[in-house]
Amino acid sequence: MKRHNRKTVLVLATMFALVLASFTVSASAPAIEFPLDAEQYINTYMVANPSSLDISLRSDTYSNSVIINTMEGLIRMEERDGEYFQARGDAYKWESNEDGTVWTFYLGENKWEDGVPVTAHDYVYSLRRSSLPETGSPNSYFLAPIKNFNEVNSGSMAIEELGVKALDDKTLEITLSEPLPSFLSMIDATIYYPQRQDKIEEWGERYGSEAQYTISNGPFKVHRWVHNSVVEIVKNDQYWDADNVNLDRVTWSIMPDETTYYNAFESGEIDFVGTGAQEWIDRFQRRDDVTFNSYTSATITYSFFNAEDELFQNANVRKAFMLAIDREDINEMAFGGLRVPTYGWVVPTISVGNINYREAAGDIIQEMIDELKAEGKTAKDLLLQGMEELGLGNDPSKLKVTFNLAGTDQWFRNLGEYLQQVYGYELGVNLEINFSEWGIFYDNVQKGNYQIGFMAWGAYYNDPYDVLSLFVSDYDMIETGWVNKEYDELIFKAAVEMDEQKRLDYYIQAENILLREEAVASPLATSRVNQFVRNYVHNYATLGFSNMGFKYVYTSGR
Amino acid sequence: MLRYIARRIGYMFITLSIIVTVTFFLMRGIPGDPLAHMARGLPEQTRANYYAKYGLDQPLFNQYLVYIKNLLQGDLGESVVYPGRQVSETIVTTSPVSAQIGGIALVIGVSIGIFLGIIAALYKNKWPDYIVMFIAILGVTIPVFVLAALFQYFFAVRLGWFPTSGWGQPKHMVLPIMVLALGPIATYARYFKSSMLDTLNQDYVLTAHSKGLSRFNVIRKHVLRNSALPSITLLAGRIVGIFTGSFLVERMFSIPGIGFYYISSINNNDYSMILGTTIFYAVLFVVAQLLVDLIYMLVDPRIRVAPDKN
Repeated sequence: MKRHNRKTVLVLATMFALVLASFTVSASAPAIEFPLDAEQYINTYMVANPSSLDISLRSDTYSNSVIINTMEGLIRMEERDGEYFQARGDAYKWESNEDGTVWTFYLGENKWEDGVPVTAHDYVYSLRRSSLPETGSPNSYFLAPIKNFNEVNSGSMAIEELGVKALDDKTLEITLSEPLPSFLSMIDATIYYPQRQDKIEEWGERYGSEAQYTISNGPFKVHRWVHNSVVEIVKNDQYWDADNVNLDRVTWSIMPDETTYYNAFESGEIDFVGTGAQEWIDRFQRRDDVTFNSYTSATITYSFFNAEDELFQNANVRKAFMLAIDREDINEMAFGGLRVPTYGWVVPTISVGNINYREAAGDIIQEMIDELKAEGKTAKDLLLQGMEELGLGNDPSKLKVTFNLAGTDQWFRNLGEYLQQVYGYELGVNLEINFSEWGIFYDNVQKGNYQIGFMAWGAYYNDPYDVLSLFVSDYDMIETGWVNKEYDELIFKAAVEMDEQKRLDYYIQAENILLREEAVASPLATSRVNQFVRNYVHNYATLGFSNMGFKYVYTSGR
Repeated sequence: MLRYIARRIGYMFITLSIIVTVTFFLMRGIPGDPLAHMARGLPEQTRANYYAKYGLDQPLFNQYLVYIKNLLQGDLGESVVYPGRQVSETIVTTSPVSAQIGGIALVIGVSIGIFLGIIAALYKNKWPDYIVMFIAILGVTIPVFVLAALFQYFFAVRLGWFPTSGWGQPKHMVLPIMVLALGPIATYARYFKSSMLDTLNQDYVLTAHSKGLSRFNVIRKHVLRNSALPSITLLAGRIVGIFTGSFLVERMFSIPGIGFYYISSINNNDYSMILGTTIFYAVLFVVAQLLVDLIYMLVDPRIRVAPDKN
């Protein structure tokens, strides 16, 4: 819940239609509408020190925020007028073969900060380094679509067999093990960025650990990094699109404490602030020198059931616990009214091509609640039915049900009390709550030592596959122990289906198995990002899956 | 005497090796792992490669032996969560930062505290005493994070005199030092007041008065010196404490000190970092303990150890 999930990969599925055609993007930067201030800089903050700026080893959201500004990948997901915009990066042109398994990228004239040209060999080196088992890259699984990745990553195949090749200095070829419609969107992930072999060999393990052990090919370069205090980047003059970079400097103060960044925003030391607390939203909204941006993120809050538990192995029992919750009510009572009530597993911000997934698939849980009502039944009837099937009698108050929460602070206490009341009233269950710290909670979940758990999960990229594949029997990332062959097949078929409408249908069928038939997890609400920005800041990113960073930002009237 | 010192140093190593061993195994008993901060399930192979890189895939006892072997060669290892960063290097760069603000805050705090303590003792049960004791009670009861937030609000947001947080320039140090100094001010004001009152009631003070010394000279020559002794004892522990840093103050003012590092390494399951910092703290305390005992022996003959039997 309190954990911040990385927003590593981005995707926009609008590219699918263009997959078979060779495609060139014209570089049209967002317009500059106001006179630029003489001094161009931004002060902002992050709540923890980045783990590392090593492309292969970084794993947290904070290093991602830095790296999308200091590095350039093959493409860059940007935004224009509030819409996603697929912009070029190092590659000015790319094409794929007919079945979408071989991709060729043509690199432009970008240079590293020391003036050395960026070549296809830098990409080959980077992807190989991340795939080698001895590198121990925590993000390497993002490279799984590349041919022979699994064999190389487990050490059973030579690194040269990885499906990455430099045809010449400026042409990169990536071969996939099977067609993957969302591949073009995946390569905006930082793990697909290039790395400099000569520098990494010179620095060894120090690479990425301090400012002087980094080398950039992006709009900015790392200037200063005092661990746990400040990260500062400055404009990189060698960058191919440096003319469109307005800022000379971006400074992140590392402020783990919310009081600190609220105070720093009020005193004008930082230009951006995010908050999840209603009282601070109200307070900042009274100011007329700041702009409020609020948008739905891709992070879902949900409870999930242990399908191997004596009680929760029964689908009707799970359904009862899923449908007994009024999602509008829990949002008001437990989430401070700050989230978006959600009636499906795929969050409202995700789309398939140009079709918004949630709109196409409908509000499954709401439909189930309505159908139940139409039959004149309640969630409690479902529970009793499930208990009968399990031979557990007909008195829900005698059931032993424990709800596990990963937190011990007031927020979780409040949520726990709410759940106890609702399940007591709606189902007649005497719910017990087990509060524990994240480490203990997750340990229990991984060992299958729980009945109901509560968590949040942030989508990495804009395709239902990212969140629906979590329930595939072999992956079981949510640790429910649920196994369903039909579901697996639908997900695998969707993953390689190039036709958007068919893909969408597969996903919708799969989600219906997941929720309507099996109720494996109970989605509750989608988080919102609430951000305040000083009025003099322009051209900043507002879309959740955008990797635009500070590239086009400028200030006017500071 | 030399024998005693040698024996103490021997005990010191035994203490340290017990601390290292207990910390090593206790720490690995904490649920979660260094990858837990990613807050999601990772594919088996990814996890396996990551563990192998840091030797975490070996049996626990083997890992312990490897650690001890490296430790004996002075190698505290590399952070598990921050790739490429040596633990010893981190300690060397962060502890002086903590010591810097901690040291200044201690000097200021102790000076003001002693001064206030003198005032309170001399004006016992009069208004200066009440004011000082009021400050002292505030100083020990207000939690550091509340004080830090208040100071940030008044001095940064309202008055704009100092930055809310940051590090590198003298102006960044003012607020954290003010926050850190209030504790010693409160402690020393109370401590010095009571030890001074104690001294004022001694016979030799009465003697000094009766032989016609001025009130100022009595206090300067007879009272202050004797009252200062217990405070000096108290100071020894505090001086060690400044190197360990203050987690809350460093966190709230974005100060790159060791206290914040230590706590965040525990939260992140950064095994090598937890061990390295624990060892650093342990060495600091054990050595300080030894020095204090030795100084006592030099200062006070009564504390000296019993003569050797032979």
